[in-house]
Amino acid sequence: MSAVEPRGGASVTAAPDSDGSPSGAREMTYLEAISGALREEMRRDETVFCLGEDIGAFGGAFKVTEGFVEEFGADRCLDMPLAENAIIGTAVGAAVEGLRPVCEMQFSDFISCGFDQLVNVAAKLHYRQGVAVPMVVRLPSGGGFSGGPFHSQNPEAWFIQAPGLKVVTPATASDAKGLLVSAIRDPNPVCYLEHKGLYRHVRDEVPEGEHTVPIGEARVARSGDEMTVIAYGSSVHLALRAADELDEDIEVLDLRTLAPLDRESILGSVRRTGKALVAHEATRSCGVGAEVAALITEEAFEDLDAPVRRLTAPDVPIPFSPPLEQAVLPQLDDMKEACRALLAY
Amino acid sequence: MPQMGVSVAEGTIVEWRKRPGDWVEADEPICDVTTDKIDVEIPSPANGRLDRILVEPGATVPVGTPLAEIDAEARPGEAHPDEHNGKQPAAVETEDAVEDGDRSRFYSPVVRRIADKHGIDLSQVSGTGIGGRVRKKDVLAYIEAREGVSDGPPEPVLHIESPYRPDEAEAPEPSEAEGEEAPAAPAGAPPPGLDELIGPSRSEPMSPMRQAIARHMTESRRTAAHCTTIVEADFTHVTSRRAELRESMRRRGVSLTYLAFVAQATVEALQEHPRLNASVDGEEIVYHEDVNLGIAVALEGGLVVPVIRRAQRLSLEGMAAAIGDLAERARDRRLDPDEVHGGTFTITNPGQFGAVLATPIINQPQVAILDLEAIVKRPVVVEGADGDSIAIHPMSYLCMSWDHRALDGADAARFLGDVKAHLEGWGDAR
Repeated sequence: MSAVEPRGGASVTAAPDSDGSPSGAREMTYLEAISGALREEMRRDETVFCLGEDIGAFGGAFKVTEGFVEEFGADRCLDMPLAENAIIGTAVGAAVEGLRPVCEMQFSDFISCGFDQLVNVAAKLHYRQGVAVPMVVRLPSGGGFSGGPFHSQNPEAWFIQAPGLKVVTPATASDAKGLLVSAIRDPNPVCYLEHKGLYRHVRDEVPEGEHTVPIGEARVARSGDEMTVIAYGSSVHLALRAADELDEDIEVLDLRTLAPLDRESILGSVRRTGKALVAHEATRSCGVGAEVAALITEEAFEDLDAPVRRLTAPDVPIPFSPPLEQAVLPQLDDMKEACRALLAY
Repeated sequence: MPQMGVSVAEGTIVEWRKRPGDWVEADEPICDVTTDKIDVEIPSPANGRLDRILVEPGATVPVGTPLAEIDAEARPGEAHPDEHNGKQPAAVETEDAVEDGDRSRFYSPVVRRIADKHGIDLSQVSGTGIGGRVRKKDVLAYIEAREGVSDGPPEPVLHIESPYRPDEAEAPEPSEAEGEEAPAAPAGAPPPGLDELIGPSRSEPMSPMRQAIARHMTESRRTAAHCTTIVEADFTHVTSRRAELRESMRRRGVSLTYLAFVAQATVEALQEHPRLNASVDGEEIVYHEDVNLGIAVALEGGLVVPVIRRAQRLSLEGMAAAIGDLAERARDRRLDPDEVHGGTFTITNPGQFGAVLATPIINQPQVAILDLEAIVKRPVVVEGADGDSIAIHPMSYLCMSWDHRALDGADAARFLGDVKAHLEGWGDAR
């Protein structure tokens, strides 16, 4: 896993993703980066607190908040009842009162129970009343571990349909930290999708100390001239492996933020390569791929040398059965085949 | 593709009026086909549901090619089988790899744009994509090969490194010395494009008819040795004869035009000069017994030349009626495909719009085309028993382009002289 490539304002030359003075970098897993970022922000700012199911004494289903109760006390690491609407609703109230809550959905699938508080209350308060709602909802998402239909979904497109919500989807440990810090400091609600398959399998250099990644900026994960794979989350890694194994001149653009989309980076890359594959693990219809494909055809039609293609899961629930789940979720071979077909076009 | 006349070998689909799944009645038009010059509605051969379209608009196929499949078993109102065949979605929905087939004539938007910008004939570029498709890299390689080592990349590089922001003001600023000069393009910048000089414009594809005209006209120019001979004819007699006959013919539904007189005089002269009622076939000249007279009819966006078969049989009234009928049906696009083929001589009549001279292009494989220009009043010298005088007469130029491969200037002049004599002496001998 390569380190995050610098990307940011033109004036920044060293460590451009950071607006502070990094004291070095340390290799860690995606999960450690999330946990570390949350801990650092809670240490830095005492208005930051977290709430969720089993996050206190148990340390969270995925151990993101392990040791938090000991360090910050039970009133900054709240164990909540199994009621997502209460978790989100409590966070909205706290945010309006000036705190910076970080909610943990045990699985992103469970957000449906807190949906009204999120999309109707949190997302629209600033629009309706000019009130800032600085809250983060952490959403462990994604499949690949036989979690079945209730524990494997990729619900990002739901949130994109609710104006007022920002949606970020880090693919690397470094971005996991940088985007979580930016999300916590953002004055309005941010949905932070952390892919469970990346937790312990992705490991890269993470800047120590102050490290933020601007919301709304994609990054070129691999540069190339023949085609662009536009991906985010787990699909970035699939695309990078496919490009390496095919040994072709493929550009991989990691969106990092889905709302707002980094239109300039998408269009800039596709205008250069003329071919685009949009890849995600989420289902196909009205997904991010559809949005990106429409953007490209609207704005860069005259630069296209091939139809914009999508590699996604089909519009079906995620099966429990491992072979069926493999058949549903895009695999490395599918990514390679999709790239080959577009390159040959 | 049905047989639309003995002379038609292929047709091009203009558009489908029905879509797959639509119910069609027998003899209901299901699509429009254009042949060389004529558009034809294709009727459905049976009742049923249009199952599949096999030939897309724009494609040209030989007569006999199936155009579509009609399910004659289907009943009206029934759902299309595709709507409930329970097809499962593929496990991972990438688009199928494109099927085989020739794609050498399909050009993507970026390929077209680059070709336009560099004035490239894409048929000269060989494609390395699927089905021989010309890829962006193919056209870029072609430009590089054509222009030698690249003098500047054809596509502006939008970024060197991310982020993708185009560099501003790359062109060097003009030096002080040049400061006062006219707005010359800065060094290194491309000269202003032709597009800028032309100003706003709009492009539209040539219609099938325009393409056919373009093809036939350039082909004729390329093959025939065109010469144009012009005589001036006095229409005094024709004018008075027309005035006499016009009203009675109008009552019989016939419009007596000057063109009918010229056609009649031409047919007569052609029978006296068979060298002009001929075609060139390779190294042979074919002389035709019948005069099959083509009459050019201007249409919206093009022209068509329906043919009056065995025109030598027709009286003046018959000729006038035939011209009127063909012109009307040509404008309504109701001609049969066979009616625009097999002419042996053509008359064109742009004079109706006021032109006085033209050099028409021969309708191949014929050997000549006569052009009737506007009939205008001119002062002319009249020879009388008591000397010359000047009078005002209706006059016109008869311009004939002819093929020097098949005949010579003297043949053309003699023929035109006889046409002129027939017109000027109209009524004398009849």
